[in-house]
Amino acid sequence: MADRQTLTEPDSGGELPGAGAETAPDLPFGAPLGAEAARESARAATATAAVAAASAAAVRRGGRFRGLLPRRSGKLVTGIVIVAAITLFGLLGPLVAQPPRDSNNPALLPPGPEHWLGTTKLGYDVFSQLAYGTQGSLFIGLVAGLVALVLGVLFGVFAGYFGGIADEVLTLITNIVLVIPGLPVVMVIAAYVQNADGLGPLARSSLLVALVLGITSWAGSAVVLRAQARSLRTREYVAAARVAGERPARIIFVEILPNLVPLLAAQFIFGVILAVLGEAGLSYLGLGPTGSITLGTMLNDAQTGQAVGTGAWWWFVPPGAIIAALGAGLSLINFAIDEVVNPKLRLAPENAKRQRKATKAGKGVADSGAFA
Amino acid sequence: MSFYLRRVAFYLVTFWAAISLNFLLPRLLPGDPAAIMLGKLRRANAGRPLSEETVQAITAILGAERGTSLWDQYLAYWGRLLQGDLGVSSTRYPAPVADLISAALPWTIILVGTATVISFVLGIVVGAWVGWRRGTWLDHLVPVTTVFQSIPYFWLALVLVAVFSVQLGIFPIVGGYDVFEFPGGPEWSWAFVGSAIWHAILPATTIVLSSIGGWLLGMRNMMVSTMSEDFIVTAEAKGLTPRRIRTKYASRNASIPSLAGFGIALGFVVAGSIVMEQVFSYPGIGKLMIQAVQGLDYALMQGVFLVITLTVLAANFIMDLIYGFIDPRVRHNG
Amino acid sequence: MIRTTRRLALALAAGASVLALGLSGCSPSGGTSGDDPILRVWAGSATPINNNFNPFAVDTAVHATFGAIYEPLFFFNQLSADPPTGMIGDSYEFSDDGKTLTVKIKPDLKWNDGEALTAEDVAFTFGYGSNVSEQFVSAEATDDTTVVLTYTEPQFTSASLTLGSTWIIPKHVWEKIDDFMAETNPEPVGSGPYKLKNFTEAAYTVEANELFRDGAPAVSQVQYLGLDSNQSAQDLLTTGKIDWVGQFIANPDAVTGSGKIATLNLQQDPTTITTCANAELGCTGPQTDPAVRQAIDVAINRSTIREKAFAGLAAESSPSFMLLPRDEQWLSDPALTTSPQDPDVAKAQQILEAAGYSKQSDGFYGKDGASFEIDLFSPDGWTDYNDAAKLISEQAAEAGIRINARTVSDAEYWTPIQSGDFQMTLYGLTQSLVADPYSNYHEYFAGTSTVKVGETPLVGQNYSRYSNPTVDAAVLAAGATEDVPTKQAAYATIQAEIARDLPYIPVVLNASQSFFNTAKFSGWPSENDLYAAPLPYLSVANAVVLTHLKPAE
Repeated sequence: MADRQTLTEPDSGGELPGAGAETAPDLPFGAPLGAEAARESARAATATAAVAAASAAAVRRGGRFRGLLPRRSGKLVTGIVIVAAITLFGLLGPLVAQPPRDSNNPALLPPGPEHWLGTTKLGYDVFSQLAYGTQGSLFIGLVAGLVALVLGVLFGVFAGYFGGIADEVLTLITNIVLVIPGLPVVMVIAAYVQNADGLGPLARSSLLVALVLGITSWAGSAVVLRAQARSLRTREYVAAARVAGERPARIIFVEILPNLVPLLAAQFIFGVILAVLGEAGLSYLGLGPTGSITLGTMLNDAQTGQAVGTGAWWWFVPPGAIIAALGAGLSLINFAIDEVVNPKLRLAPENAKRQRKATKAGKGVADSGAFA
Repeated sequence: MSFYLRRVAFYLVTFWAAISLNFLLPRLLPGDPAAIMLGKLRRANAGRPLSEETVQAITAILGAERGTSLWDQYLAYWGRLLQGDLGVSSTRYPAPVADLISAALPWTIILVGTATVISFVLGIVVGAWVGWRRGTWLDHLVPVTTVFQSIPYFWLALVLVAVFSVQLGIFPIVGGYDVFEFPGGPEWSWAFVGSAIWHAILPATTIVLSSIGGWLLGMRNMMVSTMSEDFIVTAEAKGLTPRRIRTKYASRNASIPSLAGFGIALGFVVAGSIVMEQVFSYPGIGKLMIQAVQGLDYALMQGVFLVITLTVLAANFIMDLIYGFIDPRVRHNG
Repeated sequence: MIRTTRRLALALAAGASVLALGLSGCSPSGGTSGDDPILRVWAGSATPINNNFNPFAVDTAVHATFGAIYEPLFFFNQLSADPPTGMIGDSYEFSDDGKTLTVKIKPDLKWNDGEALTAEDVAFTFGYGSNVSEQFVSAEATDDTTVVLTYTEPQFTSASLTLGSTWIIPKHVWEKIDDFMAETNPEPVGSGPYKLKNFTEAAYTVEANELFRDGAPAVSQVQYLGLDSNQSAQDLLTTGKIDWVGQFIANPDAVTGSGKIATLNLQQDPTTITTCANAELGCTGPQTDPAVRQAIDVAINRSTIREKAFAGLAAESSPSFMLLPRDEQWLSDPALTTSPQDPDVAKAQQILEAAGYSKQSDGFYGKDGASFEIDLFSPDGWTDYNDAAKLISEQAAEAGIRINARTVSDAEYWTPIQSGDFQMTLYGLTQSLVADPYSNYHEYFAGTSTVKVGETPLVGQNYSRYSNPTVDAAVLAAGATEDVPTKQAAYATIQAEIARDLPYIPVVLNASQSFFNTAKFSGWPSENDLYAAPLPYLSVANAVVLTHLKPAE
């Protein structure tokens, strides 16, 4: 999962260079591998810089974010439709479904007109559980994504902007968190916080799980954001603001962050996917929010209730399918955002397509020309 | 040379942080392992009173550190670590943690390692191809692999077992090898290796399916970007064959960042495989981790966490060195 | 897999016994020809299996240790009221005051390493390690087949422990072992029907012991597997890879449908809502009021709990805490045969209102303007318990009693129960091994078996902190006699008190399902011939079953 974000950004390999931004853009053609690679590394920064410049212009024109909005594309539309449908289901489903923990139904009914998705071993309505579970998982995803984003900005943007000692320290912390494998830490932390005394209703709640997932998953975002912040910081308008004596906080929030919106959105969406999957994994291991209904706890109930063994597919297929669909939908949106951050991703395939068409058409012309 | 020094220093600090975290986290956990074990023993003893001797023996081993300060415990912890002593498991009392881990580690390293390499190579190759053929129907392959990536590991594993092992009976249901054929345990024979490979196919498939999307997408995007670089245009203008451009110029450059991400991604694969091993009863280290957390087995939890972290750190370190070797910029600018 | 751990604990607890009626009946067809089918068992071990054959490690040693390799003196079949059957032992006799126990063992016995097994080994065993209790004085071998055990107190009620779950060990091996708790005993020398062939972390195999007193058993090899989930075990059973399991399977028909696998479902151990009942010893919360416990007792719908949480496999439990009909002669009042199975909301509310509670604005009962709530926890992954807790919470709410069900990690389950730092929990009591409820009353209800909140009882498992002088006196009286009418009178007193006070609110008698392959092996226990419980994790009983099996023709 995380490799996705680390890969689209060449600057993400730990302390590997954000240096690209400072590298001179025009190296001789056909240069040796090293130089080509250096150029390669400059690419992302250049692309972002282009976006940044464009958006800065947009800001100045007053249409603040228009330039940043992903272009409408098949991927974007499909993604938004999927995510919107699932969100609506999570929001409205609970309003129409019966209470999710009403055991007053026959157990393990297959799907039918009474219960659209059948019932569980205890006689809970699966459709209702699914609606509440979707809501619960979305909640966890949003909270965890938000927490991870805030921490990512804190460690990434601040490090990238301030540089120097602050950068060294923040980057060191980021890199440590990045290389220490996540799930074992989450498991241990989850086991701890969920059993700690004095938490009251917070213990085993989805809010707690969301917080744990959030504070363990920000490092990837921080690396990506740091690289971009470093490159933005050398932009003229930022330098101008600095010279004009604006406070760093204002520069960061007014000049830099708005230009990072597509990246922030991508990181946030990625955080949401990671949290929803993480919650499912934790729940499978029995460390999930057992007090709440989420897609993960549903899967866990189905697993421990031997849904697979009893052939009750309507119990364990829907939650898994919703998680997969949600993840896929969000990823599609992220693709569209990627194409904004790096226009080449959009333009190159289009060009290639056009070229191929042209070649074909050219052939046709040539043929008919021969006839004439 | 300062690049390598920097890297070594970084890994030393990270190593220290990981070990200290490893020391602290389990100590923050609630519950008293000695009390837990005594409770289970009492139940298992069918009401026979536990002798004072037994109670003392168990408290001495599992609760010995109560009463000493955290700092003293920390020093003692380092002392033991440096001697290679990881302690005694309470859930598998009196088995030494080191023995448990050394029996489980090869399985995980071989399975997870192989699957990750397969996933990586496959992702790079297919990604390069998709990127090369940008703008064609192949672009749709990317969203498809993402769907696989969004399926929870364990759910995918359960479905694979239900379909291929139980329904179709093609693959084995559990384990790392055929315990019926080889009741004596692992042995060095082709038959055994074959059996182990056969048992690894479904778990490996789970890992590959779930992680290939990331590599594929990253490589494809890098490839697309690289293809519009000037040096590629120049190469085309010079009249080089597309094949030569694809392999020697574009793919080679595009794959560098993927290589850098490999070490980090490994951590995520390890995490996923913890859950996967549970589904397949695979005799690896992830299952030990789960048992340790659930049984509040401090020593085992620490030992497994330490080994996982060290393995991932080592992999990262090696990848850093390789990266520094093939991409000289990082040595100068890092 | 947590489930199986619990099962293991229960099973070991259930400990000893089954009659060895047929022991001599099974033909000593020894040979280990290569074609003999290997019996494959999952007794509940998770992988990696512990390489531990130490009979003192009751919680961590592997299952074959208890019965297949090491044996007690006698086998107590907890399924019947019949007297125990001799294994190593031949007969036993208490002195009139119950302080001296004389045991005769069978002649010409051998350890599986060829050494002779004599009364000397038995005496050594009783004076070794955790077998030494505070009341123990001495164990002496007066000749090759006679052992005299002496105690400071009457031992009538401990016969099943002393004779039925003390594992006889060879003196020539164990006299060299000082730390009996840390020993893993990887090369066990025992007297049982099987001896260890090989061990790996994925599975271990035992083979027929040619020196076994009744001759080598007919099934020449038994392989015990380690598996991590019930689902895996079910899959392997269905596909014919393994032959014997004792585990929960929600729809047994799916497994037995092929006609090759048979199943037996036995219900013995009461699952209860264990409450921290005694405010005087430090318990806090509304459940310390007997009226609240009585209201819960009638408010819950046990039929639904049995059907849904326990998949219709559990049985009705009795507030007398006896196993019926086995213990019928001790039942004082037929009304105590079973707890109410259907809810009676009106009665629950009447009890609460009589005790001064009233419905508060939120619809729940309470006092002084605030409704009360009670915490009820169960361990993660014990699905039937978790489900039962959810249902109890829902059902109690209908009567206006707020119970918050939650789950805790396995580790966080045991600590508070022992220290009394809880309000209510779902907890399984262990049924008495013999047809006499004494050990239930002594273990779980006697004031001598509890301590104040914050401490852990060293003797007994009275985690409810229940303390009632009337009960204590009756338990003492019952323990000092073998006279039936005296005991009946004492038990009647106890039953009336505990059924009223309900420190443990009975929920169901938990089911123990077993599945075995009748196509490959014959001789399994059946409803009509329950010579031993066919549970592969149940100590002694599992070995008794093994010696009855034969490869099917």
